[in-house]
Amino acid sequence: MNRAAQAALLLFLLLFLFAPFLVNPGLVFLAGFAMIQIVFALSWNLLFSYAGLISFGHAAFFGIGAYISAVALRDGYEIHFVLLILVCAAFGALAALLVALVVLRRASGVQFAVLTLALSQLIVVLIGYSSLLGHDEGIAAIPRPAIDFGLFTVDMNQPLTSYYFVLAVCLLAVGLMWLLAKGHVGRAMRAVRIDAERAAFVGIDVWRVRVIAFTISGAFAAVAGAMLAPWSQIITPDYVNWLQSAQPLFAALLGGAGFFWGPVVGVIGLSGINYLTRTFAGLSEVLVGASLILVVLVAPQGILGALKQLARRRGGRTPGGHA
Amino acid sequence: MILDVQGIEMSYGALKVLHGIDLVVEKSETFAIIGPNGAGKTTLFKVLTGEAMPTAGTIRHNGQDITKLPAHQRARRGFGRTFQVARVFNELDLRTNVVISIESRLRYSGGNPGPWWRWKPSRDVQAEADEILDRFGFPRRRWNDEAGYLSHGDRKRLEFCVALATKPEVLMLDEPTAGMSPSDRKEMTHLLARLKAETGITILMTEHDMDIIFELADRLMVLNFGEVIAMGAPGAVRDNPTVRKVYLGQDHQHA
Repeated sequence: MNRAAQAALLLFLLLFLFAPFLVNPGLVFLAGFAMIQIVFALSWNLLFSYAGLISFGHAAFFGIGAYISAVALRDGYEIHFVLLILVCAAFGALAALLVALVVLRRASGVQFAVLTLALSQLIVVLIGYSSLLGHDEGIAAIPRPAIDFGLFTVDMNQPLTSYYFVLAVCLLAVGLMWLLAKGHVGRAMRAVRIDAERAAFVGIDVWRVRVIAFTISGAFAAVAGAMLAPWSQIITPDYVNWLQSAQPLFAALLGGAGFFWGPVVGVIGLSGINYLTRTFAGLSEVLVGASLILVVLVAPQGILGALKQLARRRGGRTPGGHA
Repeated sequence: MILDVQGIEMSYGALKVLHGIDLVVEKSETFAIIGPNGAGKTTLFKVLTGEAMPTAGTIRHNGQDITKLPAHQRARRGFGRTFQVARVFNELDLRTNVVISIESRLRYSGGNPGPWWRWKPSRDVQAEADEILDRFGFPRRRWNDEAGYLSHGDRKRLEFCVALATKPEVLMLDEPTAGMSPSDRKEMTHLLARLKAETGITILMTEHDMDIIFELADRLMVLNFGEVIAMGAPGAVRDNPTVRKVYLGQDHQHA
């Protein structure tokens, strides 16, 4: 990764760290929301950019986490919230594993993408029939938990505490995904994405790697969903819908799908567009669409890809590695 | 014998491309498959590598039936492979290409590629990758270059590094010098000869360049329309009148 991208990421981190002291509560809420979307987008990109699988229905796993968390909080289950996040991750992983075992046997390309979309839309329909999940209206007024850590308590009813708890969990999730992506498991995934046949001939079980990637990705998407329930305090089927599934794709396209940090840049860009156009109905969609078209035409490898290209031109050498 | 292939038949729909191929490859032998275009060399090669399933016949490796094993399981049993047009992990640097291969070997052979959270390859893995790249003549300053920027010849060499990093028992080479410049071709021939002499690895190859075949192969097999028309030592095959007629022509009479 070149210096400009590193500096930008550091700046984003500082902005997230000090957001409650710099901007109004409305923007702080959006910053928390963006952090959750970053975890979701990175979980999707772990699949796309590392294992070479495109999922159009990833919101299903996000939704599983969001709804389990929302129901547990609404109904006052006696469960530690950190444990609840882990339970959501486990359910997300299990659902993803089942989908992978069934779908990946037969398909890995476009068919896979369409089948994941169909499954997620099926979940949206099922939610509509469920009174436990609040039908089409979803679950509103979700209480925020007070999380007891023994030595101290994190009360999510305090806006500042709540923000930093979300930040800590998101940073932890991003850190874990980064370690995974950069380690030998991530290298095997990338080998599979770049050339599955070549990977098989060095003894990599391509199918197994894809199943593992999908399972891990489902777990992290569910963690993102689990964090959204107490943060936004309302979960609706919109979070499981195809438009939510498309968010990581937009973010990855905008930021640079070939880069681990690409979706982070993308989510921040998209959040910025949404915020700046909030008073003009419909303008946000037009701008998002226009910027995506622009990126595809001018910088097909996204913002980070364009920065890398620029650095290569200025440096006049072939840069190594994967940023 | 390391590889025992009996009665391999292969059809694409109604078209039968291999008609009961038998071949035996001994340990440390270099065995070549040659023949005119469309003779079934590539299909036979794919059947042997596990990319295609034969419609009949058996393939035994060290006495065990591997006919139905997929490519990755054959690789785990000790089959390495290079492609006609070299296939490496283009977006990754040279070192990572080799590291992936070593880590894969460690994973399936009971070794330890290290914990999942370690973002750099272990020291042992890096040292091994560096040693392989060095042995194959890649200078240290290029180890961090993206493989996609390599010339065709260098990419072929890197593919060798990737294939050999799994420590294969049998190396399967699909036209190792295809598309190379004369100097790269010469270098590759030297490299293969050196590999053979130093490691005693078993090599199974297809190749169009007869000079390379005659320099490297211990035995060869000539295919024509999916049938074996000759098999034996290079000298004997070269002098076989049928082979000269259908494939070698008159040029190699005295080659």
